[in-house]
Amino acid sequence: MSGCATVPDNGAAISVTGIARDFEAGGQVLRVLHGINLDVAAGQLTYLVGESGSGKTTLISIIAGILYPTEGCVRVFGTDIYALSDRQLVEFRLNTIGFIFQQYNLIPTIDAASNAAVPLIAQGMDRLEATERARVMLERLNIGDQASKLPSQLSGGQMQRVAIARALVHQPKLVVCDEPTAALDAKSGRRVMDLLRDVAVASDRSVIIVTHDNRIFDLADRILVMEDGRITHDGTEVPAHER
Amino acid sequence: MTWIAIRMLTGDRQKFYGLVFGIAFSTLLITQQLTIFVNLLNRGATAVHNIATVDVWVMDPVSRTQDVIYPMPSTALDQVRSVPGVAWAVPHLRANAAVRTPDGDLEGVTVVGVDDSTLIGLPPTMIAGTRDQLLLPNSVFVDGVGRTRLFAEDAEPIGARLELNDQRAVVRGIVDVDPSFTSQVVLYTRYSNALNYVPGTRNRLSFVLARAAPGVTPEELVRRIEAQTGLKARTRTDFAQDGVNFIIENTGIPINFGITVALGFIVGIAIVGLTFSLFIRDNIKQFGALKAIGVHNGKIRMMVAAQAGLVGLIGYGLGVLMATLFISIGGATSVDFKGFYTPWQIPLLTLLGVTLIILATGWLALRRVLKTEPAAVFR
Amino acid sequence: MALFRSRPSFSRNILPIVAVIGLAVAAFLIWRGLPDRQLEEPDETPARATGALANAPRVAGAGVVEPSSEVIDLGTALSGLVTAVLVRPGDYVSRGQPLFQVDDRDVRARLLEAEASIREASAAIAEARAAEAVAVRQLSLYRDIADPAAVSRSEVIRAEGDASVSRGRRQLAEAQLAAARASRNRARVELNRLVVTAPISGEILRIDVRPGEFVQAGQQGNSSTPYIQMGETRPLHVRIDIDEDEATRVALGSPAIVSPRGAADRQVRARFIRAEPQVVPKRSLTNSAAERVDVRVLQLIYELPRADGLFRVGQQVDAFIAARPAAVRREGSAQ
Repeated sequence: MSGCATVPDNGAAISVTGIARDFEAGGQVLRVLHGINLDVAAGQLTYLVGESGSGKTTLISIIAGILYPTEGCVRVFGTDIYALSDRQLVEFRLNTIGFIFQQYNLIPTIDAASNAAVPLIAQGMDRLEATERARVMLERLNIGDQASKLPSQLSGGQMQRVAIARALVHQPKLVVCDEPTAALDAKSGRRVMDLLRDVAVASDRSVIIVTHDNRIFDLADRILVMEDGRITHDGTEVPAHER
Repeated sequence: MTWIAIRMLTGDRQKFYGLVFGIAFSTLLITQQLTIFVNLLNRGATAVHNIATVDVWVMDPVSRTQDVIYPMPSTALDQVRSVPGVAWAVPHLRANAAVRTPDGDLEGVTVVGVDDSTLIGLPPTMIAGTRDQLLLPNSVFVDGVGRTRLFAEDAEPIGARLELNDQRAVVRGIVDVDPSFTSQVVLYTRYSNALNYVPGTRNRLSFVLARAAPGVTPEELVRRIEAQTGLKARTRTDFAQDGVNFIIENTGIPINFGITVALGFIVGIAIVGLTFSLFIRDNIKQFGALKAIGVHNGKIRMMVAAQAGLVGLIGYGLGVLMATLFISIGGATSVDFKGFYTPWQIPLLTLLGVTLIILATGWLALRRVLKTEPAAVFR
Repeated sequence: MALFRSRPSFSRNILPIVAVIGLAVAAFLIWRGLPDRQLEEPDETPARATGALANAPRVAGAGVVEPSSEVIDLGTALSGLVTAVLVRPGDYVSRGQPLFQVDDRDVRARLLEAEASIREASAAIAEARAAEAVAVRQLSLYRDIADPAAVSRSEVIRAEGDASVSRGRRQLAEAQLAAARASRNRARVELNRLVVTAPISGEILRIDVRPGEFVQAGQQGNSSTPYIQMGETRPLHVRIDIDEDEATRVALGSPAIVSPRGAADRQVRARFIRAEPQVVPKRSLTNSAAERVDVRVLQLIYELPRADGLFRVGQQVDAFIAARPAAVRREGSAQ
């Protein structure tokens, strides 16, 4: 049973209680998450680390409100997101959550500033004003000079910075990142993560990053390690065997 | 978001032009073929359309169209004039005859005899000559087909002599009419002349052309004439339709054009459908990202609708423009297309077809987008 | 969103504008190309029933104008050369007025001859009378002598014979006079007959004889045309053919609205005269030489009012006559 009827609001920025998730594959029900309990505070950069198939992507999808859990309760800044209607959930994502994808998923036919402005445009803001704000965000990410270029004219690091700008432009309270550095070389990845940490982390915002890139573990405020659908480690450092 | 959708579409030039081409081609094919079809069918009613001053045609009960005629005795004219509600009525003769051209060739013609004193039944516009010259003895007018068929390119038709049924006929004018379905030469002359030009049969009167008195509808007049005289009466529009129906029933034209129009429709669906779904597949990740970010399905629908709408507008606009230009230029320059026009219903019909194509392909494409789980972007 | 804020894009800005302009152009071409299928009014309309008949039961017919006397074809009683034509077409002549003159020299000669014979006979009569008087007086002288011996019997007989002969000669002369008179009378009659006169008062419609031509008595018919046609044109009549199918519908006796061919707007009311008792095969009124129509017509005669020069003999007219109110035909009866 999913839902937060019996779970009191504990005031944490993100509160995950008893989350389980089943997938059906070939007629068999496969449980990929086993009753996850997790609280994340605001102002923190949280890493979710684990092998492929450990359930970290499923968990972050559920936290980000794009995948329904089979059981359990998710509160994001106090809102029981899976009690919302589909429409309300979409609105909630739009206003509260910023997304950074592994493959950037930029729209190839519009320039960087427009790409970064998409959430604002989707919120209904005038396109010009939205683009202007997106430019400001791109400036903060040090690629203001690339604002009028198409994604295909940018390097991988620049594209990811555009994606970060898109994730932050509407001032979301929660930012979720899926392997932000996986497609980048070490140097670019490092620079992107430095920027992300500088720009994204704020006192009223949580940032959750799914990654297994051990080159950037030192930036985290908190690292959660997942194995077989369970959180096996929770601390500021990765356990030694993960390194 | 619409702006983003349009950018997404137009940024991919190949597919965008593919889509526009598909719609434009379908529009052109459907519009142009339907137009030619309708105009060919209308050729079956040119005799009716060419006479603008009468609203009821009276004929023998077995006559069917302008060219399938069983003549009536001449007193039928008086019978029709006797019917209350008939403002006036004139005799009208249509018959086939053979004419000797100035070069000595034999040419089949349709002889049309119009009312002797009022010339009612003569088409309103003349290319050469004036209407009252038909009042001269042995005077005939030829139509545009006759101008080209009976006379050499450089020959002067006005004043030329023809031989009809051993009678002399002098061409004194060229009338401006649309050719008939068979493109046969039409000679206009007065009724009394026509009787001499056409080999004799017992009854000669092909039609009585009547005009309803003010306050009497043509339909009501038709009813009265049929009740009182026992002859067959048709309103102008109905009789024109009879000629059209005769072609539909007796030729393979509707099937041929129907096949072409269906092909245009199918080709349109195929091109547009394939290109559109390719386009959507290429952009499915972007759509997924948008859905994850928080664009709800209604907005996604609007985006796809905007994309389809833009393609539809451009393709349809260009296609209709090409089709109407084709007909306009053809109608102005070629005898075969003379009088061709684009009925306003056909572009609307094409619009319906294009809308169907776009709706069908857009719906297919949209289904894919709507089914995309936003969570898929994390995998 | 204003267009062309930045560089105009071909596919996003120009193409849609081209498409919209194309649609406008197409709409204009379509609108301009649409054929005019509206009803139009002809410059001139044919005969139409007006007034009370416009929307009432009626019967239409075609007819020909004729004189009220019908057309009289004049021939000549005597053959001969025409010496003078005394009238012209269109002249209105009174009854007995000479129309043309046939050569009368021969008859005049015979007249003179007869008059000479009369004078000769008169002289013979006078002479015979004188001789008769002498003979009678001689005889009475002999008769008055009482003495039979004074006159021989033979004398007396001779005197009686003289008297008788002279009487006979007088009677012969008288008979010759009568014969000569008769001959003169005949010549005079012939002289009259050589002048063709109008049998009635009327208008000369046609003259097909000229001085110097030879006219033949008593032919009239097949190939030949009459020398003079005339008829009473005050008033004119019109003979209207009604299709036998329609004939029963006519309200006999009601007036007709008549207009000449080619001047349908000039209509007159004509007065009913009579219906011909016989239904006859339709005579062609369409000028076609070879028209054969198996339709018979009822002929109605109407009197036209005075209308200066509007109607002429032989002219075709269109006519509308009121129909009997209840005479609505069954549908399909003419098929």
